[in-house]
Amino acid sequence: MSHSQLDQLIHMANQIADNNLHHGDEAESVQIVSNHLMRFWARTMKQQIVAYANSDGSQLTPLARKAVDELAAQYG
Amino acid sequence: MLQYFDPNKDYGTPASLSEKQVTLEIDGVEISVPEGTSVMRAAALADINIPKLCATDNLDAFGSCRLCAVQIDGRRGLPASCTTPAEQGMKVTTQNEKLGKLRRNIMELYISDHPLDCLTCPSNGDCELQDMAGAVGLREVRYGFEGNNHLEAEKDKSNPYFTFDPSKCIVCSRCVRACEEVQGTFALTVDGRGFDSKIAAGQDEDFLDSDCVSCGACVQACPTSTLIENNVIDMGQPEHSVVTTCAYCGVGCSFKADMKGDQVVRMVPYKGGEANQGHSCVKGRFAFGYATHKDRIKEPMIRDSIDQPWRKVSWEEAISFAATRLKEVQAKYGRESIGGITSSRCTNEETYLVQKLIRAGFGNNNTDTCARVCHSPTGYGLKTTLGESAGTQTFDSVKYADAMLVIGANPTDAHPVFGSMMRRRLREGAKLIVADPRKIDLLKTPHLKDAIHLPLRPGTNVALVNSLAHVIMSEGLEDKQFIAERCDDKAFQKWQAFIREERNSPEAMQDITGVAAADVRQAARVYAEAGNGAIFYGLGVTEHSQGSTMVMGIANLALATGNIGREGVGVNPLRGQNNVQGSCDMGSFPHELPGYQHVADDEARGRFEKVWGVELDHEPGLRIPNMFDSAIAGTFKAMYVQGEDIAQSDPNTQHVEAALKALECLVVQDIFLNETAKFAHVLLPGSTFLEKNGTFTNAERRINRVRKVMPPLAGKEDWEVTVELSNALGYEMNYSHPSEIMDEIASLTPTFTGVSYERLEEMGSIQWPCNEDHPDGTPIMHEVDFPIGKGNFAVTEYVATEERSNRRFPLLLTTGRILSQYNVGAQTRRTENQAWHDEDVLEVHPVDAEDRGIQDGDWLGITSRSGQTVLRAVVSERMQPGVVYTTFHHPGSGANVITTDSSDWATNCPEYKVTAVQVEKVSQPSEWQKQFEAFTEQQLDFLEKGRQQPAGAGH
Repeated sequence: MSHSQLDQLIHMANQIADNNLHHGDEAESVQIVSNHLMRFWARTMKQQIVAYANSDGSQLTPLARKAVDELAAQYG
Repeated sequence: MLQYFDPNKDYGTPASLSEKQVTLEIDGVEISVPEGTSVMRAAALADINIPKLCATDNLDAFGSCRLCAVQIDGRRGLPASCTTPAEQGMKVTTQNEKLGKLRRNIMELYISDHPLDCLTCPSNGDCELQDMAGAVGLREVRYGFEGNNHLEAEKDKSNPYFTFDPSKCIVCSRCVRACEEVQGTFALTVDGRGFDSKIAAGQDEDFLDSDCVSCGACVQACPTSTLIENNVIDMGQPEHSVVTTCAYCGVGCSFKADMKGDQVVRMVPYKGGEANQGHSCVKGRFAFGYATHKDRIKEPMIRDSIDQPWRKVSWEEAISFAATRLKEVQAKYGRESIGGITSSRCTNEETYLVQKLIRAGFGNNNTDTCARVCHSPTGYGLKTTLGESAGTQTFDSVKYADAMLVIGANPTDAHPVFGSMMRRRLREGAKLIVADPRKIDLLKTPHLKDAIHLPLRPGTNVALVNSLAHVIMSEGLEDKQFIAERCDDKAFQKWQAFIREERNSPEAMQDITGVAAADVRQAARVYAEAGNGAIFYGLGVTEHSQGSTMVMGIANLALATGNIGREGVGVNPLRGQNNVQGSCDMGSFPHELPGYQHVADDEARGRFEKVWGVELDHEPGLRIPNMFDSAIAGTFKAMYVQGEDIAQSDPNTQHVEAALKALECLVVQDIFLNETAKFAHVLLPGSTFLEKNGTFTNAERRINRVRKVMPPLAGKEDWEVTVELSNALGYEMNYSHPSEIMDEIASLTPTFTGVSYERLEEMGSIQWPCNEDHPDGTPIMHEVDFPIGKGNFAVTEYVATEERSNRRFPLLLTTGRILSQYNVGAQTRRTENQAWHDEDVLEVHPVDAEDRGIQDGDWLGITSRSGQTVLRAVVSERMQPGVVYTTFHHPGSGANVITTDSSDWATNCPEYKVTAVQVEKVSQPSEWQKQFEAFTEQQLDFLEKGRQQPAGAGH
């Protein structure tokens, strides 16, 4: 079984968000997830997920979506 | 650490650790020794060598041979010096006429039942019996061979590596004691009494069929040629030795490579090695034959397509071909379209150079390493909580542990020498808690008391660790002072509020973990109240969708109980491959420069840019799975892979194969045509650890020297190949020896500034950090503070894995390793270790087997959402019902055809330990296995054609 690259990125972003839902304060969670993407994802991966969020974004969980939006200014 | 003893000398009995000194006089020489030291050892320290046979300094004194008798003023008789402790004011005589006569009489009795074939005996020149006969001045044997004797006793040649010849045995029981005290297996015994006494393996079985794990401790302990390496029988005694470091697991054992010219006769564990202290396992001790196996790649080869035979070419042509292809790909698809993978099997220096080539030569950060698929969550989790991506202890520290919590690790198989150290401590009374879906062999340690097994469901580690922490906090078992003084209060308060919630209690979690709440409570109390509680963990922690969360959960436990910063405690990740720690330290990850310095850190990056003379990308690069996805998407087109076999070791094999097939240029540098190399366009011969200089860093952060004992079969050490490839790509590298590479590493890595080859020669080994603050290295970390100041509790919410059993896939597959094989098996499959494990099998619980009508030996189709493979069945109660288990040492087994792309949320470490599967009886191999067999046959044919072609032909 294979998967598309974008599907995988969406899945990864959602998984990171799901594992950081618990910080109580949503703003803090958004910051943590966004920082994680910033620190660990390659430039092209960030560009792809931002492009997806800008064009559709429906498959991203709410927290993942907000975290990706934080990257938009730099990688849009 | 400096050596205060000669590791090449046998002092007869072990050292005493007492700090109190006693002074005695031996043959008129005054000497002070720690209280508890034997008279024999005290004498040896004064260079007075008392004859001995049953004594050796890695075994407790036994006092059976009586050859070491001495005379002590004021004492009656002639006491054995090995069993007599040195006392203040004692006056000892080791040589006089009476003692001489006694010793000659003893030797005469031994020799009367010993074949006098010294000149043709394989131990000739290395036999303690022969030496002692000389030392005591034996000149005649009055008792002939007419009476009963053991001279015709039959040899046991069942073990592929050593022979047992009972006709040479003096029944000193050193082998039996080594098996018990050093290895902890208790496979040998003295059978019978008096004249009938004989050494027996197991229930009087042959060695191969017994419980013997072939660690070699008995062979090393034997003072005669009763137990002797077959290589010595075949080749004779070695003529020189070189101390080097084993290239198997993360224990990093030191060995003396005993040589005849450039041929290795045997590998003998080196007593001066701080990690292994003179012990070994079957892999390091015996399984080195792969280095000269006929499958070794000895010539560089190239080809335009994987559908073509290989062409044997010169090094220059191969390097030029690779460089041209890589440049063409970058010119066509962009700077970020290529990348590479460093090796945890190669040296620090080689790993450093590969990531340097990628960052500085390729101009991107698309570098990754196999730690991605094993311990990347350790790096993330420990850096977040403790501030450093490494274990906190020495192996030796286990000697002071009162309780061991072992999670998702199988040390007796995967880290056998350390497993033996753990077993020794367990026999001394330390308590054991094992959290593992399987009943690992550590739980079967002879003389083990009070063990707790928490057989959790695969994928529920975080639920379990949270419930352990809940008990500690709700029952007031935490170390309040440590928390107050050493930990960040804000983080602690947040974590405490979370962990105290009832939903984290063992009672609330038991339906998830499958572990009875009472057992969890008991385990938490044992760990927290032990005094010194030490946690050891392996890939059963990291290779999960919450691998990083679990590592943080483990660090939380240690912080909450104050089990950090001293001997006997700590967080101990048991690293898989020999240099996993080193490959991570050396900047193999796409987001970190050497020393875990983030690429976005302008100051750190600036220092590298200055030394490397190029501008570096401040963005992280692609991880291995991202490289695969990008290759399939068509944006990643070329790869340089040194010493890794991603086609066999990475999950979802069919996805990996599709990615490798999509590459326009794959450069593989390896000692064999491994599974990955079958997809390559350039094959550069690699060199084994015996053929190069460098360093490995083991699981306790110990940097050990690797020393060349034979010339590289293909003429180049691996680091030299990387240098040439870099130069051909236009990024200049100039090194004449790996020591120069280490000097560069030290200049750029804050935790390595005190490391150099000179210091390694002087100290033997160094545990990093080694810098201005820690000039002699750091055996125990975080003694005073953490690199991040205060310990950082992390909230570890349990998030269930998406990889769950259901009606279609009702069983959970978990994977692991066995003792005799190593990782993808490329090395061990090419040794006699095949005698123990020549195929991977699927272990199935009897309940699941009965449901499906499965019996031992049946062929089973194992299907997951990734694919299907077929393995032979072994019905076993080691797992709980609902869980099946296999290993991945043989490529044709296709274990990773069924593992999925589910991975750790933080690091993408694959979730090898949890795959939902169905199992059913089948009659033929899977489709993938049939394709694999055909592809392998084709690629081996292509290799053979290349080998037979004259160099330069076929253009």
